[in-house]
Parts: sequence; C-alpha cells; structure tokens
Amino acid sequence: MAYLSRRSFLCRSLALAAAGSFARPYIAKAAATTATMWWAQGFVQDEDVALKKVIADYEKASGNKIDLSIIPFAPERQKIISALTSGVVPDLFNSNPGEIITQYGWKDQWVDVTDVVETQKANYHPTALLAAQAYNNVTKQRSFYGVPVTSAVVPIHMWRSLVEKAGYQMSDLPKTWDAFFDFFKEVQKKLRAQGMRKVYGQGFQVTANGNDPNALYYAFLIGYGGQNIFTQDGKPHFDDPAVKEAAIKALSYLTTSYKEGYVPPSAINWNDADDNNAFHAQLMVMDVDGTLSTEVAIKAEHPEQYYQEIATQGFPLSNDGKPVTSQVAFGCGLIPKGAQNVTVAKELLKYWIQPEIVGAYVKTGLGRWLPAMPALVKDPFWQDPKDPHLPGYAKQGMVDPTMPFYYVFNPAIAEIDAEHVWSVAMFDVINNGMAPAAAIDKAFKRAETIFAKYQVV
Amino acid sequence: MNSASAIDIGRPASRQETRWRYWRGELKGSEYMWALAFIVPYIAMFLVFVAYPVVYGLWMGSEASLYSQLFADPIYQSTVINTVLYLALAVNVKMVLALLLSGFFMRPGWWMQALLMIYILPWAVPSLSGFISIHWMLNGEWGFLNNLLYTLFHIDGAYWLNERWLAMGSAIVSHIWKQLPFWTVILLAGRMAIPLDIFDTAKVDGATGMRCFVHITLPLIANLYLTCTLLSTIFTLGDFNTIFFVTGGGPANLTHVLATIGIRNAFDLAQPRLGVAAVMSALPLMIPLVIVLMRRLRTAEVQL
Repeated sequence: MAYLSRRSFLCRSLALAAAGSFARPYIAKAAATTATMWWAQGFVQDEDVALKKVIADYEKASGNKIDLSIIPFAPERQKIISALTSGVVPDLFNSNPGEIITQYGWKDQWVDVTDVVETQKANYHPTALLAAQAYNNVTKQRSFYGVPVTSAVVPIHMWRSLVEKAGYQMSDLPKTWDAFFDFFKEVQKKLRAQGMRKVYGQGFQVTANGNDPNALYYAFLIGYGGQNIFTQDGKPHFDDPAVKEAAIKALSYLTTSYKEGYVPPSAINWNDADDNNAFHAQLMVMDVDGTLSTEVAIKAEHPEQYYQEIATQGFPLSNDGKPVTSQVAFGCGLIPKGAQNVTVAKELLKYWIQPEIVGAYVKTGLGRWLPAMPALVKDPFWQDPKDPHLPGYAKQGMVDPTMPFYYVFNPAIAEIDAEHVWSVAMFDVINNGMAPAAAIDKAFKRAETIFAKYQVV
Repeated sequence: MNSASAIDIGRPASRQETRWRYWRGELKGSEYMWALAFIVPYIAMFLVFVAYPVVYGLWMGSEASLYSQLFADPIYQSTVINTVLYLALAVNVKMVLALLLSGFFMRPGWWMQALLMIYILPWAVPSLSGFISIHWMLNGEWGFLNNLLYTLFHIDGAYWLNERWLAMGSAIVSHIWKQLPFWTVILLAGRMAIPLDIFDTAKVDGATGMRCFVHITLPLIANLYLTCTLLSTIFTLGDFNTIFFVTGGGPANLTHVLATIGIRNAFDLAQPRLGVAAVMSALPLMIPLVIVLMRRLRTAEVQL
C-alpha cells in the first residue's frame, strides 16, 4: 500500500486547484455574450414553442447565446424570490408573480429599463406603460423596471351548451351587472330541475389561494363603483363613502351567492387551477378567470368545445349602464440588479418587443396572452369571426377601458393581495357569520396596518 | 513504521511536542495525513451544507422587528394554535395506535406477514401522490368519499376542507395514515426483542393478555416508546407535505402550521426573512425536544 506523504498530499491538492482554475476561463469567456434567462412554462405547449422560437431567432440574429430555463409557474416563483434574496441572479426573468415588480422595485433591486421601453413607447397601451413602472424607495422616484411583453384581462367564461340546455340563448344574457350574474342563478335552477344535481351557476373563487380571488373581488368592487379604492399616487381611500359602499356590495354579492348555493362549496378552498378544472368538468356554468387558459387548454383535444360549447365575453355594464373598467396584468421582462450580462438581456428585450416579433409570439401561444400593444389586435388572428373567444378578449383588454391591477401603485397593495385580505373578509361572512359591513371594516383596518409600512412620498 | 516516527521514539518528548501529539490524536506521520484526507471532505461538507445554511438562516431571521411583524399577523396566531394541536393529536394518537397495532402484528401466521406488507404501503408510497389523492377524495362535490356516502346511503357528506377544524382533522388523519406504518414497525421490532422466556414465566404464574401487556411489555418497551414519541414530535413539527397538499393551508389560511407558514411568508408574501422568522419561532419548542432526546439516547441504562 502506498502511503500518502504530506508533500504529495499538498501537491495533489494544488494540482486539483490548478486544474479548476484552468477549467474556468472557458465559462468566463462565454459569459461575454451569454445571458441567463428564466421564463415560466406555458399552460399549453404552444406557449413554450413560441418562446423558444423568439430566443432561437434572436440568437441567430445577434450571435449572442441565451441560456434559457423554462420552469413551471410555482417553482419559478420560488426560484426568483430565492435568487433575489441571495443575490445570485440570472440576467432576465418574467414577472412571476406580477407583484414582484412593485415589491422589489421598492427595494431598488431592478435594473432601470427605461431605454428599452422607450424603443416602443408609442406602440404600448397606456395601461402597459403605467403597469411597467414601480416606486423606488431608495431613489424616491418611479421608473420603468419592467418591459411589457404580454398582457391579460379577466374575462367571463361560460358553457353555452349549459345555458342552452337550461332553455336560454346567449342573446338572453342581460347587459347590466347584477342582472347578468343573477341570470346564472336561474340557469342553475333550470338545470337542477332537469336532474343535474351537482351543477352551479356561478364559479366565484371565494378562496384565499392565488390571484384569482383578488381579481374577482376587484372586478366586483369596480363594477359597483369603487374603482378609487387605491389611486395612482399609491394612496388608499378607505374613507371614501363610494368606495366603502362598493366594497360592502361586492362582498355581499359574492358571499350571498355562495351561501345561497349558487357557487360550488369547495370554491372556498380552491387553488389557482381548481376553477379551471371545475369549469372543464361542467361543475359550474360560468367562471370569472384571468387569461384564456380555460379555452386554450382544451382547444387541441376538444375543438368542438372550444368553437361551439364555450363562450367568452368581457364584463357587463355597471348597474347604471356604464362600461366597467377591466384590470389588466402585464407579463414583463425584468433584469435584476447583480445580473452579469445586462447588455444582452436588454438587447433581447428590445428585439422581443418589436411589434412583428411580439405579435407573432402571442399568436403562436394560441392567444392565451394578449399583446401589450393595441395595434397588434387588429391582426386577423384576433378578429377572426369564427373564433368565439379571441375577438371579445382582445376588445376587453386593448379597446375597452382598462387600468392596471392595483398592486402596481404601492407594494402595500401587493401585500394586501398576497395576504388575501379580501378573501378573509369573504370567509368571515361565509363561515364566521360576520355582517359584510363588519367584515369590510376589519379588512380595511388590516389594509391600513399594512399601508403604514409603505409610505410613498 | 516510517523513518520520522523512528526518530520520534528516540527523542525525549518536550511539553510542546506532547501537546502537538495530543492534537494529532497520537497519530504519526502518514497516518495523520490519511486521517486528515478522510476528515477534511466531511468537515467541508458539514460547513457548506449544515453550518452555513443554519448560520445564514439565523442571520436572516435575526432582526427583532421581524418577530413583532410576525406576532401581529393574525394568520400566525392561528398557526401556532394549529401547530400545538397538530403535534398533540397527530403524534399521540399515532403512537398509541402504533403500540396497539404492533401487538396485533406479533401474531403468528403467513397471512399476518402478508397483511403487514399491505399495511406498510401508505408509508412506502411517495407523499405527494398520496396526499394529492386524499385532497381529491375529500372534495365536497365530486370527491370519492362523498360520492361513496351518497351512493351507499343517499346522504351528502361534509365539505371536509371548507371548515377550519374539519380540515385540520382531515390533515391529522392523513398524517396518521401516512406515518402509522413506520412507527408500528419500529415498535414491532421493539416487542420482538423482548425475550420470550419472560412471557413463558409469566404464563406459568397465570398472567395472560392485558396483565402481560401492562406488567411486561409496557415497562420493557417504555423507553423505546418515549424515544419514538420524541422523534416523531420533531419530525411532525417539520412536516410540510401533509398540510400543504391536503388542505393547502386553507380555508382562508386557517390550517397552516409552522412548517408551512414559513413557505407562505417567504414566497407568497415575497418576504423570505419573515418566512425564516416563522421557522425560527419553532426553535423554543424544537431545542428542548432535541436536548431531551439527546439525554435519553445517552442513558447508560440498558433497556429496550
């Protein structure tokens, strides 16, 4: 047996260290033109195909290399938060969740991308330009930290086949808010009378998981005239009587529907995808859910459902006959501070947001996401009269009145949403027997406590 | 023996040299180098994968303001109650059942071994698939359980995951279903180690059944039972999967335990430090448990 002497031990250790040093320059050299990118996996494979095509085309055009990782939504979200916490970050990722633009903009953790946004500023929807900015609590200023690539509204998805089975036509749908949603209560009654024991009229996500319940509550709040609960200056207006009245009305409508049995009981503990699954299973006639994921998920396998049995539309008019503003979420590219190759990341984004490139990208992804530029929805793809979903979806997001989700105004709102303050209020009414007014008082108090931590100057 | 050690033998050892040899563990020459070569990777692994994460975690959760923010969160308050309840019920019910079932599986016969193999399956299958299946089974509208109740008895079952205590109960039962086989097998091994002579002698004296259990099995297995209970408490305190996949922490975040609230704070609220603080807040419960467990494992008394 050979003994390892002290000298040989040290020599071998040094040799190993030297080998490591010689191995490194290859990576260092490659880093000059390589950018690391994380992006969320699509709901359907076509979305990933679209993404890979953009990246491949960019690599071909620029000579740069993009080290792309396509990661499922939930793990990517955790990976992003972990990276931002540890400081070991990629060069580019998407805004997953959307709130991180505001939350980490507050902490001065994004690279300013005003120069990138400027290249297409004239083409962007004004709401996109508003949503791509965040308040920086270090510089005490708002700036562009996100580059909008895609957008999405919250449409209403309906089983046309169930409406017709109940003896109605889609043309029977009322035009105003309460009448529209009440209509589905009648549909439920008719279907139950035909022996459909487990069918519900309204798919309201009265849960405390994911973004859906926040989007639903805000839709009703705005529908009842409470749009100014938070304003662009980042201030809350809980003492505004119109806001409070709308907040109580929204809570009352959603919780009363639930308590009266028009909403699937398990909706109180649904996760993000449960409403999609329940809708596909025809557990409910109607669902208020962001993006066209519900429709595109079944397009390939059940084209008859996509083209004939499911219908999509934007929000009805308010009770006094006025258009209701829809909230729009934007899928943005973000470059974190500490990124090694900001130049390539910015170049890629500039390439990607060119109208012809981003227009093709959203179309290849089956139209689950809208573009962030109104001119692009004039494309025949979005205006196809044979498609029962895309034209209405495009109109709701890019033509009708819109505003960004409230969280872009102040990170406090992002925290209120993440804590599901409104869902807790729904639960207080549904399970704890609290009056809607008392539940809203409690929710406003919690929201004020959170706001105290984030003072936008 | 190499040349260096031969020289060492003839040389009167100074006090400094004696101390040096002590630190070298009385190892000589290349023996010492071999020892170093073996231990350095372990120390490096320990520093990188154990010490660093713990110290980093302590640093992340070191701000006092995090804890005031944490204690002011109404969800955290209900989480602490849930955690205590989860530990008290899940651990004790599971261990008592494991003790009783270990006696059942002591019975002779090939069919008992076959039954034991089937019984172990819940522990053997991956947590994820098991708990997700339970989540679907408990669905109020179309879950297996309520459909079965309706088919057999024409009754509508409860909405198991819609109400806080029903959901907590469902999670506790799921945890017991998953972990019971493991602890049953451990206690079964403990029972099998009791010499049969003791039982034979007791039988000669007329003791059977419950008397044998109370006066022989229980005292001899008590130490093992207590150690297993402590270990199970520590494992259950860190049990993330059951709550996360069965109830998802809902409804309205009311069924979180400390193991899941940390993830919610870190990633849902995007406040990793608050998440670490939530996990750190379990230390006052965890550290005494570990100390008691270590003291028990050091006991000189020879017992099962």
